This record gives sequence, C-alpha cells and structure tokens, in this order.
Amino acid sequence: MRAAFADRNFKYLLIGPAIFVLLLIGVFPLVYLLIVSFQGITMTEVSTEFVGGRNYAQLFDDVRMWEALLHTVIFTAIALPIELLLGLAMAQLFLEKLPGRQIFIALLVLPVVVSPIVSGATWSLLFDHRFGPINQVIGWITGNDTAILWTIKPNLVYPAIIAAEIWQWTPFMFLLLLAALANVDKSQLEAASIDGAGWWRTFFRIVLPAIWPVMAIAILIRGLDLFRLFDIIWALTRGGPGTMTETISMFTYVKGFQQFETSYTAAVAFLVIILLSAVVMLALKRVELAR
Amino acid sequence: MADLKITALHKYYGGVHAVRGINLEIPAGEFTVLVGQSGCGKSTLLRTIAGLEELDKGSIEIGGEVVHHLPPRDRDIAMVFQNYALYPYMKVFDNIAFGLRSRKTPKAEIGPKVDRAAGMLGIHHLLDRYPRQLSGGQLQRVAIGRAIVRNARLYLFDEPLSNLDAQLRDEMRGEIKRLHQELGKTMIYVTHDQIEAMTMADRIVLMRDGVIEQAGAPLDLFERPATKYVAGFLGSPSMNFVEARLVAHGGGLGTLLDDGTALPLPPSRSEKLSGRIDQSVILGLRPEHMNRAHPGESRSGLAHYAATIELLQPTGSRTYATFKLGGTDVVAELQPHDVTQINQKIELSIDMNRAVLVDPSTEKVL
Repeated sequence: MRAAFADRNFKYLLIGPAIFVLLLIGVFPLVYLLIVSFQGITMTEVSTEFVGGRNYAQLFDDVRMWEALLHTVIFTAIALPIELLLGLAMAQLFLEKLPGRQIFIALLVLPVVVSPIVSGATWSLLFDHRFGPINQVIGWITGNDTAILWTIKPNLVYPAIIAAEIWQWTPFMFLLLLAALANVDKSQLEAASIDGAGWWRTFFRIVLPAIWPVMAIAILIRGLDLFRLFDIIWALTRGGPGTMTETISMFTYVKGFQQFETSYTAAVAFLVIILLSAVVMLALKRVELAR
Repeated sequence: MADLKITALHKYYGGVHAVRGINLEIPAGEFTVLVGQSGCGKSTLLRTIAGLEELDKGSIEIGGEVVHHLPPRDRDIAMVFQNYALYPYMKVFDNIAFGLRSRKTPKAEIGPKVDRAAGMLGIHHLLDRYPRQLSGGQLQRVAIGRAIVRNARLYLFDEPLSNLDAQLRDEMRGEIKRLHQELGKTMIYVTHDQIEAMTMADRIVLMRDGVIEQAGAPLDLFERPATKYVAGFLGSPSMNFVEARLVAHGGGLGTLLDDGTALPLPPSRSEKLSGRIDQSVILGLRPEHMNRAHPGESRSGLAHYAATIELLQPTGSRTYATFKLGGTDVVAELQPHDVTQINQKIELSIDMNRAVLVDPSTEKVL
C-alpha cells in the first residue's frame, strides 16, 4: 500500500519544484502587490495599516494618472500602425533578391540592438535645438539658421518621440514580417497570378491570411512594449513639457520611486495589470478566431 | 490553326541553359504531354508558357497572339500545380470561384459555374470544406476544378498526379482524360511518368536536356522511336539493349552477340542494313516481344534462344523473367505460368520484326 501511494504521488514530487518557483516569482508578487495596494504604506512612514479601498478611490480622481494612461494609448495608437505598415513595406521590398541583401538587413536591424535609453539619449542629441544635426539639416534646406525646440514645444514633442520610437522598433516588425512573408507558399502566389488576381487582391486574400498569425503576435508584442514605453521618453523629455508626454509607466515610476507612495503605486500597477490582461486576452481570442 | 506556337525558345537559370531552342505547335483541342526525366526542362517550358518564368529568347503565341511579354493573368490560361497550391484560408467553393471573382465574373454566373465544375469532378459535397480537411485525391480534384471552372484558352498541368498514391493516380488519369474529351480544350500536361504520357496523350513531346528528342502520337513514338533514348524511355519494363554486330547470316543479315549467339533479322529489314555489315549496333528488344517458343511456330523473323532464367518477378497478369543475352541482363515479359522457378531453362522466341537497331555512335535508330 505504502509503495503504491509513493508510486502514485511521485509525479507531484517531480513537478513540485517547478510549481514552487512559478508561485514564488509569478503569483506571490501579484498577491503581495494586491495586499500592499490596500495598505497605506509610504516610504516616509512606518505605518502598514489597511486603508481599505482608499488608494483605488484616489486613483479615480487622479487626473494626472488618467492623462498618463491617455498619453500611453496615444503613443501606442500612432506608433504601432506606422511601425507595422513601414515594417511590412520594408519586408515586401527585401523579399526580392537584391545584391547585398544580407548586409542591408543586418544594418537595418541595428536599432533594435541598441538599448532604448541609449537611443533616447542619442535622439535627444539629434534633436538638440542648437547643436543637433536635425536642425542643422533643416537649416541647410531652408537656408536660415534653425533652432526648433523639438523636445520642448508642445506640438513637436509627440512627433519627435514617435519618430525615435519608430526608428528603433520598425526593424523588429520588419524582421518578423520578412520571415513570415518568406514563408508564404510561392505556388499559391503563382496560382493567384494565373487566376487573374492583381497585387492587392493577392495580398489581402492570400498573403495576409498566411502571415496573419505571425503579424498578430508581432502586433501584440509591440503593443505591450509600447504600453510600457519609458526609456526613450525619459531620455528625450522626462515626460515634459509638464506632464504632457508622461506615460503610465513613467507615472508609476515617479509615484513609487520619487514620491515614495508605495501603496498608491501598487494600486496603479494593479489597474494597469487588469487593463493589459483584458487587452491581451481579447487580442489572443481574436487571433484564434481569425485562424 | 495552332492554339499554341512556340518558336526558338531559350531559357537560362543562372548559368544553366534549361530550355535550348524549343519549336512547338499545338493544335486547338489537343492533349499534349511533355514528358522527360527530371531536369529535362519540361516544367520550365510549361512555366514559361504560363508566364511564371520569363523566356530569354524566342516567342510564345497563344491563339495567334504573341503573349510572352504579358503577365500570367493576361494569357488566358489555367493551370493545375503539382502541390495543388490551393488557398488554405478559403473554402473549396471560394478556391474554385477565386479566378472567376478575380476576373469580375457577374455574381449570378459564379454559383452555376462552380456547380458545373464541381459536378464534373464529383466534389459537390466538399464545397463547404477547407482544403486542410481534404485528402490528397480530393485536393487534386479541387485544384483541377479551379482550373476548368474558367473558360481558358489553354490548360496547363504540372505533374498533377505525382503526389498521389498509385491507385488514385490510375483513377485520376482516366478522369483527366475524360475531362479533356468533355471539354475539348487544348491541354498541356507535364509528367515524368511515361505511362501517364502513353495513356493520356494525343501527342507526346519527349524532352531531354532542354530540347525535344521526339514528338508524335504515343504509339508512333513507341513503335518507331527515333533514338535510343526514346526507345528506352517509353515502355515498362523498358526496352533491353544488347551490344551486337551486324553479320551476314544464312543469306540475309543477322546480329551476332558477344557470346556468339546469332539472331537472324527478317529479310524485310536486311536490305536497308546491308551497307552496315560488320559494324557494331545496339540491339533493342522490348520485353513483350520475347515469348515462350511454341513447338511448330514458324513466323518469319522469329529467332529462338535458350535462356536460363535468373530472376522472376510475377505481377499476376504477367511475369518478368531476367536472363542473360549476349552477356547483358535482359528482361522478358512472359505469361504467368511459362516459368515457375529460377535457373529453369526455357526456349524463347524473339520477334526480330519488332527489334530496334541503334547506331552506337549517334544513338539514332537505324
């Protein structure tokens, strides 16, 4: 009996460590985050008393938080489609056999290799209003001395940030979509050309469905990345002017590590988790439906 | 009038000269089979006709119109691919209707046309399925349906049956031939399978190394091959080739094999060859022209040979028996019970009327 019991339960012993690690790094922080969000912890006091839903109530009145969320959505909604379309167009271009194709692809992919904070710093030099090459080039073209305040003027900061963001991450889309496009069955394209389908029809009816699974994943990855956009903006504007370009992850960082409102930050983080999980679940469901 | 006219067509792949000067005219309504070993340029030729490959030299005319500068969609062709190339994200109906919709066929006509094509192929019950839910034979039927639903001038088949198992292949062969008879369209069919070529073609175009080796009706090629290659390519099992020497034999001519066996040629053939006495030739004998000798039979041109059978391959209706003739392994196609065991001695009669004699230096049939 004892031997049988041991035999039957040996499997649990085997998966035990893995489950433990998962719980430790996955579930525990989440649960602890939830607990903290109902407490009144700040790093300037020692109190850990429970305050009920006070932090969440405060959340809903926090205009700066909602604005940060809105900024994040705006960045995502503008940068993501541009990166997708640009990446797709580039991938289509590089599908043809060109001389030096490998080298071009390697060069194009370089921005992805650069750490975002470094690329942010580099773009901030490029955008510099007195010494930046961007203003210099514009000056050459227009013939006047140019001192455009790219990272300060309210109507220019968004284009500046989005340009940097697109520069860095379009190659990622390009690479994934190139792989997907290269895998499209050539004979299907040939069949379509004989069937009399033009470029658009072939693309929408045959190519797009074939690359959609990869494209959906690429969109999801980039969407999530954009939602936690931080480094580039931090290097370019620190969320300025004012809080005009502050994203939700910057807001969380400022609240938690500059203003030390630990429990309130936990509440913000939990809200973001809920929102993102909902989006991801919806997205995954859509992808599956499309298959 | 020729429906397809190809003139001096050349095609290079990088450094490879894949198609080397093809001239071909295909009359309207004919079923032409391009046949040859892999790499002979037959698929390249077909793809060039379709416009999937650009030609390097020469011209292609379809229905009197020069088309080789046009994209595939403007050539009025339909094509069936070897790997089916169905659109995986569309149902069978939409797969078949895709070409019609691309060509802006009025909506009201699409349903009946697809219905008619599906009816001809017996795939009505599949119209609502996706390609991934179909078997290989069904996929091929859909692929054919996609081609015949359109009223194209030229139908191209690129080894459509090579992915199917043997039984299905036999079935589809008949099916495609029946479709051709029903539709009366000009069809070009590429295959490496000589049985497909023989059974289906109105005309076989046998290709080798990018050129046409011989073209003609299947039985013409089979019975009157122009070269050793053609003689060996058509027929299954293939023709036996034995080295021999032409000698004077009993008033006429005969072939003397390396082991001293003399096989007399019929008088009708002797006259033409009298100038070649003492020259070496290659003697080509089809397996089915070597039979068990019956006592008392004496047709002109039958040579007798006592063979020791080394290998037997019964197929049921026929038995293939391997033996040595002039030092070469040779296969004869015998009746099932002519031979029962190996090492058996059997008297064979070889029909020298049907023998093919090849000049070894030019490989041309004499």
